[in-house]
Amino acid sequence: MMLLYVLLLPLVVTFLTPLMRPKLATAVSAVAFLIPFAYTVYGLASGLVVKIPVVDIVRPIGKFYILGDQVSFSFALAICLVSAMVALYSLPYMAHRFEEMGKELESEYRKYIFFYNLYATSMLWLVFSGNFIMLYIFLEISLLASFLLIYMYGYGDRRKVATLYFVWTHIAGMLALIGFLMTAAANGSLAFDAIAKIGFVAWLLIFLGMIIKLPGLGPHVWLPWAHAEAPTPVSALLSPLTVGLGAYVILRAYLISPWFIKAYTMPIFVYGVISSIYAGFMVFRQNDYKRLLAFSTISQMGYCLIAFCLGTYGIMAVIIQYISHAFGKAILFMTAGGIIANYHGLRDITKMGGMHEYIPTISNAALLGFMNLGGILTVGMFGEFFILKGVVDTFGLDISAILAVVFVFIISGLYSFYTYKRIYCGKPAGYEKVKVNRLLDTPLFIIGIVSILLIFPPLAAILLNAVKAVIAKVAIATIGGVAP
Amino acid sequence: MNWEIVLLFVAPVICSLPIAFYWVKEPGSDRARKLPMLSVFGLFISFVIAIHILLMYPNGTYTIPWLPEYNINFVFIFDYLSKYMGALTAFIAFMIGLYGLEYMKHDYRLGWYWFFFNMFTASMLLVVYSDNLLMLLIGWEGLGLASWGLIGHWFRDDDHLSYVGIVGRKVGPLKMYWPPSYGGWRAISTIRVGDMPMFFAVAAIYALTGNLNISQIHWGALFTKIGLAGTVFLMLCLLMGPFTKSAQLPFSEWLMTAMTGPTTVSALLHSATMVAAGTYLFIRLSWYIHPWTLHAVPGVGVLYYIVLLLGLFSALYGASVAIGCLERKVLLAASTMSSLGLMFGCAAASYWYGKLAVLIAFWYLMTHAFAKATLFLVAGHLIHATHDRFCCGDLNLARKMKTAFIATIIATIALGGLPPLTAYWVKAGMDTVMHHIVEMVGSLPLDLLLITSLLYSAFLAKFLSLNFWKGDKYRLHLHGEKLMPLAYACVVSMVFLLLYRILTGTDPLVETHLLEYGLDKDSLIVGLGVTGTYLFALVVPRIRALSPIGTFLGDRMYLPALNDFIVPSIGWAISKLIEYTHRAIDWFCHFGLPDFMLGISRRIRAIQVGYMRVYMKIALAFVMAAIVVSMLGWL
Repeated sequence: MMLLYVLLLPLVVTFLTPLMRPKLATAVSAVAFLIPFAYTVYGLASGLVVKIPVVDIVRPIGKFYILGDQVSFSFALAICLVSAMVALYSLPYMAHRFEEMGKELESEYRKYIFFYNLYATSMLWLVFSGNFIMLYIFLEISLLASFLLIYMYGYGDRRKVATLYFVWTHIAGMLALIGFLMTAAANGSLAFDAIAKIGFVAWLLIFLGMIIKLPGLGPHVWLPWAHAEAPTPVSALLSPLTVGLGAYVILRAYLISPWFIKAYTMPIFVYGVISSIYAGFMVFRQNDYKRLLAFSTISQMGYCLIAFCLGTYGIMAVIIQYISHAFGKAILFMTAGGIIANYHGLRDITKMGGMHEYIPTISNAALLGFMNLGGILTVGMFGEFFILKGVVDTFGLDISAILAVVFVFIISGLYSFYTYKRIYCGKPAGYEKVKVNRLLDTPLFIIGIVSILLIFPPLAAILLNAVKAVIAKVAIATIGGVAP
Repeated sequence: MNWEIVLLFVAPVICSLPIAFYWVKEPGSDRARKLPMLSVFGLFISFVIAIHILLMYPNGTYTIPWLPEYNINFVFIFDYLSKYMGALTAFIAFMIGLYGLEYMKHDYRLGWYWFFFNMFTASMLLVVYSDNLLMLLIGWEGLGLASWGLIGHWFRDDDHLSYVGIVGRKVGPLKMYWPPSYGGWRAISTIRVGDMPMFFAVAAIYALTGNLNISQIHWGALFTKIGLAGTVFLMLCLLMGPFTKSAQLPFSEWLMTAMTGPTTVSALLHSATMVAAGTYLFIRLSWYIHPWTLHAVPGVGVLYYIVLLLGLFSALYGASVAIGCLERKVLLAASTMSSLGLMFGCAAASYWYGKLAVLIAFWYLMTHAFAKATLFLVAGHLIHATHDRFCCGDLNLARKMKTAFIATIIATIALGGLPPLTAYWVKAGMDTVMHHIVEMVGSLPLDLLLITSLLYSAFLAKFLSLNFWKGDKYRLHLHGEKLMPLAYACVVSMVFLLLYRILTGTDPLVETHLLEYGLDKDSLIVGLGVTGTYLFALVVPRIRALSPIGTFLGDRMYLPALNDFIVPSIGWAISKLIEYTHRAIDWFCHFGLPDFMLGISRRIRAIQVGYMRVYMKIALAFVMAAIVVSMLGWL
């Protein structure tokens, strides 16, 4: 029951914060996510698995319950920490944004913080949902909340971009929903523990829907728009957390009925590799800092697609990769926001250069972010390690598969440091040195330090032992799973 | 034992945190400028512990649990190699730390500098003492990151003294000068290309054996299992890390432009320790693979032959480039590359010669580390004093900077292989090894080694001559440095310690072998030849008539084209192509399709105007269409 209270906390806070003054609201929101964070660490460390029934709905839907297992806790770890830190970051950033839009902080922030908390909370609940319909409901709530945030506070042609985002993600949601309903019709329930098998068409629809959300090559076109034009704290949730939830949904379906991915390993693997390389090359050509990060997200999500094809170690890599990318990309979007807030909307990389001179703390944080993307000395290292081990497990010493994956990793490292060089090194571009608001850099370092601590004992052992518990589950699912 | 080992790695990092944070808060304040003392104290702690390990620890491994469920742990190994290498690293790091206190006194980014300097030391020690490959990779990535951070330390690119090459010079499409930020990028991009295949190889070894401890893996069984192609592929992937880190062909360019970093960094990272980590890893692997016992296993011979030739060709390339170089640090960088090639070559010869070849490579590594660090530190002092990156100086300068002069003489002689100083005995060992394997692999390795040796002593003499005797005009700005001469005096004195061990035969493994090889007639002839070229180059450091060749060599045979032109051009072409594809998809989804739909919707709406005649027309059209269709069906 403890889990239920911990999950209710941010939900209650969501409805209370609009009544508070901005500073208090920010602090309360951050705490409301840090407590679940502590609980997830406890959950991972103790190997906790809980099921809390919520309500039993008629047959084809099945019972709703809260499922707290090692997969949920791993994803929640990233969601809680990032949400808490971005909440802190929101205050100075949105103050700047409201000022820019000519709105009053006090009243506007009430709206903002409500939708922000709603958005983050719905993602947290999503990963603890034990029923696909319940999961779908939270998916849609998060979509609505983020849509409104972009619509109200976004940049550029924000209404068009918000609509574009809404349409694309809605298509994704609908496809998945049809897939869920077909599964419901076949199994008589959508509770995770009551589904025996997901049929071909259902799997395909869920997979396609989540490919749009993830996104893979092709449907990825919505992402650079949405992530670049969203207000930065929202980008810092959208890109690190929301898109990766596509991987979460596929993972849940995989844990129940893995046959689809196993049957189509090769096409999915190739598709993942191409997506990742494609987006990686695109990063080099971007001149808008946030758009650049958006492309890097596509590239990183390609890792997840690749990892899905690589057996049990690949599944572990999906989880680690989600965490690592969440940390890295949250930091990086916040650094982009830091530059925007301090230099009046500066996003054009061609006008930057030697920015380390003016904002050393943000530059150092960006280094931590890029280290996360490259998997250097951060938790992403395990992600890459498991992917590479998975490649050998799956394909043996197959040169083309190995070189493809190695090339994907090389590209991420290269664009990371190339971007760092373009923005933060070189001849200083001639701005004034500013005093950076502490809330615009400290949260970034907290995330960065956690990501480094996760490769050393004891946190490394806690996290990796937990994902090893997932392996055991996959092994069981493989035996129990039905071949097509 | 436990806390001491942890402290070895943690102390330098912890001690550098105060300056790192305080510098952000109050950059350049007097109080902040005192904090580097604390960082050096951290290095001192590591040094003391490393010496303690060298003298007191028994051989063996020590494990700290990390991921016991995966059979991956922090396994520290204490053996002949790691004990010496660890002590050497910690000693040089500490000495260069002292030197840096004075050299970097007025710098604008001390927080960054000391944090990465100390983090580098910790990472290097981790690599040295690590038996577990994944743990080694943590240190390895730390090395790459620290190297990037320190090469690009002067990120503003505003001081031409920190560039490499003649500013403004172009050859064809190539800009032959590199600012620090670009130097950092070249380093990290090259290293990334090597590290990822290496990372794969580690993961593959884990997948195939379930074990990552170098000393415990059954290498022979592993190689037998994966066959000839598998062995060569896997091990070449693994060695891609060492090859890029140790700047072997064709990955050497980053090391040359790494000279854009502060000289302390060049001395510690890019000559004595970090670049040697690649060769060290190869030596450590060979030590436990026992290639000399694996002649029956297919693939191992091919692999070692590749490494042998790659190393020796890199050695020759590096030495030739150094001959043509006039830039103090770049000359030394090229010579470092050459030395690393020799180490690779010699260690690879162990496949035919046995363990002693590995040991000789390791001894050369140690000699090189001390001597080359000295030369770099002297070069740094000279750059500091003359404000010139290029070789310049005369006997007057030598008189004013006596310690530097003497240290350079000792270091060049000791490293060049002139009898009777240290490298002579080690090189004699190498000659013997290569001579011995002529029967198995032909005389090419021996020839390459001999040519390299001759060139090597020549450019060392050239370095001495052009900086202290026959160099160009210079302007001198001595600032009364005390710590800097002290540091390189201490470092250079270590070559005598090595010499003492060789001559007295107190080393349990090398014992009298080196002495015996050095007293051999052939070795003496080589030694005399080397001495001859040394003296010749000392007297004639530049031959004007040959300057076109010198320019070609000094431009590093235009290998920069690979990093600066060929690879980027291909990359940009691909990314351009991809961008057009992306634009097409984006246009179709977000403009083409919506506009098309909009058009259709407009047409449909245009029908609904409310006039009866429009609807009548449509109804008639449908009737006509129905008639036509039914007629067609009837026909």
